[in-house]
Amino acid sequence: MGVSPVRVTGLTTHLLTRARRPRLAEAAFAGLLIGPDLVAILALSLFPLLALCALSFFSLDLASPHRTGWVGLENYRRLLNDGRFWHALQITALYTFSTVALQLALGLGLALLLFERFPGEAIVRTLVLLPMILAPVVVGLLWRTLLLTPRFGFVDYLFEVSGLGSRPWLSEPTYALVSVILMHTWQWTPFAFLVFLASLHALPTEPLEAAKIDCQSWWQELWYILLPLLRPAIALVAIFRTVTALNAFDAIYAATGGGPGTATEILNLYVFYVAFVHLSVGYGASLGVVQLLLALGITALLFRFLRSEVA
Amino acid sequence: MRRRSVGQGLRLGVVTGILVIWVFPIVWALVTSFKDRRDIFTIPPVLLFTPTLDNYILALTTRPILAHLRDSLIIAGLTTALALLLGVPGGYAFARLRFPLSRPLAFLLLALRMVPLLGFILPLFLLLTWLRWTDTYQGLVLANLSVTLVAATWLMITYFQDLPHELEEAAAVDGASRWQTFLWVMLPQARGGVAVTAVLTFVAVWNEFFFAVVLSGSRVRPITVGMYGFLQFDESLWGPLMATAVMAMGPLVLVTLLAQRHLVRGLTLGAVK
Repeated sequence: MGVSPVRVTGLTTHLLTRARRPRLAEAAFAGLLIGPDLVAILALSLFPLLALCALSFFSLDLASPHRTGWVGLENYRRLLNDGRFWHALQITALYTFSTVALQLALGLGLALLLFERFPGEAIVRTLVLLPMILAPVVVGLLWRTLLLTPRFGFVDYLFEVSGLGSRPWLSEPTYALVSVILMHTWQWTPFAFLVFLASLHALPTEPLEAAKIDCQSWWQELWYILLPLLRPAIALVAIFRTVTALNAFDAIYAATGGGPGTATEILNLYVFYVAFVHLSVGYGASLGVVQLLLALGITALLFRFLRSEVA
Repeated sequence: MRRRSVGQGLRLGVVTGILVIWVFPIVWALVTSFKDRRDIFTIPPVLLFTPTLDNYILALTTRPILAHLRDSLIIAGLTTALALLLGVPGGYAFARLRFPLSRPLAFLLLALRMVPLLGFILPLFLLLTWLRWTDTYQGLVLANLSVTLVAATWLMITYFQDLPHELEEAAAVDGASRWQTFLWVMLPQARGGVAVTAVLTFVAVWNEFFFAVVLSGSRVRPITVGMYGFLQFDESLWGPLMATAVMAMGPLVLVTLLAQRHLVRGLTLGAVK
């Protein structure tokens, strides 16, 4: 354990430190080591992104190839008038914001409650890792069948027994949206919990001791001492959780397929249907560009927040 | 004294709650895989029942589960090997060597790490279709590499950065060349990081579904797509589905339980040491 377990990841430190003048032999050696890696990354990661942007200016319908050609901003014009796109964007915003907020709140809450070391802590920390290791498609299938099926699913059974009654978990629009948000939150809250627990354990003890004397209440200690100390950890968790939420596809596809209707259709699912079911690749690309800008924009904002913390 | 015992009761409650919410569903899936159809659909749910292997037998005999597992193993294994071969030296250079453009390149890596998989899939689909590489191992390996290579390089940077600078200085004093320093001094010190990167890359590819569903077909079909196909047959095949899920996820769960101390840091992408 270092002084601060939650640290700005390697690359960020790299960006924050001043570069020294490279020497030729060292640079050549570095080029040899990094060359193949970079070529592969440029070819497999950067090139597809540039191609995606280019594709978004073309009409490319695999179902009707004769219409292939440059259309300029036509795809984007179409997107502006596409109600299903705006709906998907709304669902994406709602899904991302609520899952990240829930994970932060639950993760932080649980970590604070279990702040002091307790017997069996190592076992609990290991077991909560398990949801994160499961394939999201398995999580989607597990919830769709064993847990949320009306009458036979365990969660629904608990609702019936406790007098709350059976619910249309995945077949009614509002319930379905809540269900997929809870599924995602279930799978990834352990990440937030583990990061917050580790950062709490690594906080310097003096300010906390002083706080115990100065602060009148537990709330004051939390608000004025703990939360400010945890801000880098909170920013970091928010970044990674946002990236995962914007990547969501598997669990929703497996549990609802975006339905009922389009109730749980996030942008990723809509692009999937446009590009791979209806085979409108050009239009799908313009939707993909929107998702790309959204992801980069949000993470850039969160990184600014993190950087201002470090500096 | 009183406050202390209240605190302990509260903690016990919280721990129980955590275990019920996060562990019970997984245990329930495991239990269900050993239930016969009648026991699965009994209300209230039964905890005592005669365990049976019928679901496993049914899954293995009626669906090509073993072929799916083999496909996943080949794709995840090859992707992991390539990601390490390229990402470990790359990570070392980023972490420890000075070279021109290192800062913009590091920034590029950071930005690419944040890109949703969706950004890669459309152009790769067209490219692989053009190469006639959809529904092949090499197609799925390349697609998976687009996401995992950036992540593996990133992860290796964090591990190499943690090594003390005295190591290189000592190697230089002993007259080691740059290659010798990298291969015989630094790499052995970072072998834990290499192992974690290998496990996490493998797990990510093994669990991958989006690429698999778009790029696989009748010849190559990873286990994630195979599992999804179960319910399309028959909505009520819970037992065989859970048996397959146990076979597919069991090895990953075991590795996690054994290596959790090392994996936590990697799973949190270097955020927790």
